[in-house]
Amino acid sequence: MKRICLVCQNVDCKNRGSEEIMKELQQRASDKGLDADWEVKPYMCFGACQEGPNVVLYPEKTWYAGVKKDDVGEIAEHMAGGPDVKRLDTIDASLKDLIYQLLDTGVF
Amino acid sequence: MEGILFPRGVVDGKETLDAYRARGGYQALDKALKRMSPRDVLQEIDASGLRGRGGAGFPTGKKWTFTADTRETPRYVILNGGEDEPGSKKDRLLMENVPHLILEGVILAAYAVGASKAYLYINADYKDAIRAMEEAVADAKKLGYVGERIGGKDFSLEIEFFPAPHDYVAGEDSAVIEVIEGKRPLPRQKPPFPATAGLNAKPTAVNNVETLANVAPIILRGAAWYRGIGTAESAGTMVFSLNDEVKRPGVYELPFGTPLRHLIESCGGGTRDGKKIKAVLPGGPSSAFLSGDQLDVALDHNSVRAAGSSIGCGVIGIVTEDQCIVEEALRIAEFFAKESCGQCPACRMETNTLAMLLRKIQQGQGQAAMLEQFGKVIAFNKGKGFCSLINMPGPPIESAVRLFRGDFEAHLAGKCSSTS
Repeated sequence: MKRICLVCQNVDCKNRGSEEIMKELQQRASDKGLDADWEVKPYMCFGACQEGPNVVLYPEKTWYAGVKKDDVGEIAEHMAGGPDVKRLDTIDASLKDLIYQLLDTGVF
Repeated sequence: MEGILFPRGVVDGKETLDAYRARGGYQALDKALKRMSPRDVLQEIDASGLRGRGGAGFPTGKKWTFTADTRETPRYVILNGGEDEPGSKKDRLLMENVPHLILEGVILAAYAVGASKAYLYINADYKDAIRAMEEAVADAKKLGYVGERIGGKDFSLEIEFFPAPHDYVAGEDSAVIEVIEGKRPLPRQKPPFPATAGLNAKPTAVNNVETLANVAPIILRGAAWYRGIGTAESAGTMVFSLNDEVKRPGVYELPFGTPLRHLIESCGGGTRDGKKIKAVLPGGPSSAFLSGDQLDVALDHNSVRAAGSSIGCGVIGIVTEDQCIVEEALRIAEFFAKESCGQCPACRMETNTLAMLLRKIQQGQGQAAMLEQFGKVIAFNKGKGFCSLINMPGPPIESAVRLFRGDFEAHLAGKCSSTS
């Protein structure tokens, strides 16, 4: 199964530029030849609106919050096997738990 | 049975001005103008225990007091006839058939809160209701009940009609005000509440059609008389809507406290094909399901709450034994996902996630862990929206899972219990 990179497209994240971030991630993933392994796609909402734009990598369960266009290169690096972008991993465990459980049941 | 709003408790044709006057029409207004101060009218409504009939059941006297107690002018009254609740038709039928009763209530409300202008906000599709109300306003103008110095007093009232758009949230009181201000129907963040800062940031009493229809009878016959009908905390009658699930669909005005079984069986004639009742939504799609063995519940705020649900605006939804609750829950979830106005991210997240979970279960693509997700998603988002829509899908969906877990498990196993 392909790994997925979910980019929130709800109101708040969108207002902060998540549409552009998604396109940029798709482009970078393609450029790195990751299309066979990864699918970058929209998600309706992770419920962390104040901290968006939010990007979740699944099934590995990495959550990047407050993602800016400048961060996209490092996230793509991570998807290609590079290190975690630790400074963007700021979401509290209980919300992660809620969202990861939903993703585990196949809601995406 | 005699009703307070409909003379015979059911729709019985359009009531003319003469017929309305023959049953005491406009005598409440005459009485108020001659013998009661605005504060007397407000106190009588407060003492009657009248509660809003639009769904929330908030005490009308309390709402009006917020408006009347401000020093701000001008003040406004809005008749909320947006009525977009699926299956609800009571407001339309009241406006079409007893327009003068409603109009007298509007005028009394304006007198009580000190409003100089009233807006009649009516579902744009309700052409007959709008026409009936327009005719009533024209009659009232001729009688001197609308216009300048009504009854020779320092009380003037202008009335304007406003068509309500079709969105579900367009009936929410602050969204009503947005529409009248020429904007999109988006609920406002509260506080401030419309009662103190509503239309043009001025105090505004927004009341449901049925609520205002109760006002003139209360003023004419007194709070004590009104309190003698219904139950201690739910005074008066309520107009219930029955739809095609029963043999005799329609609206039925009954005293609060009437058993649900009486409404469905004696008024509605029972289910259409005589099928056994599996579940009932006693207050529209935002109320929790009651099971078929709870039909003896009394239809009043406290009893229905004690049974685990709410009376809402009196739309009765019936699920028969041949129907699958998963399909019903999905229909409700999709309704709220569609009607969420989108301005509060939490509401979009909740309504869409619930709908997606149910869609997967309904299509047999789910897994058992999904049944545990509903409550978590609902709890996470509780109260995070500007309006109450975010709290609406919870009761029906959580009760559906609790009462009919077997239906959900059947879907997860790729089967459906429905035979219809």
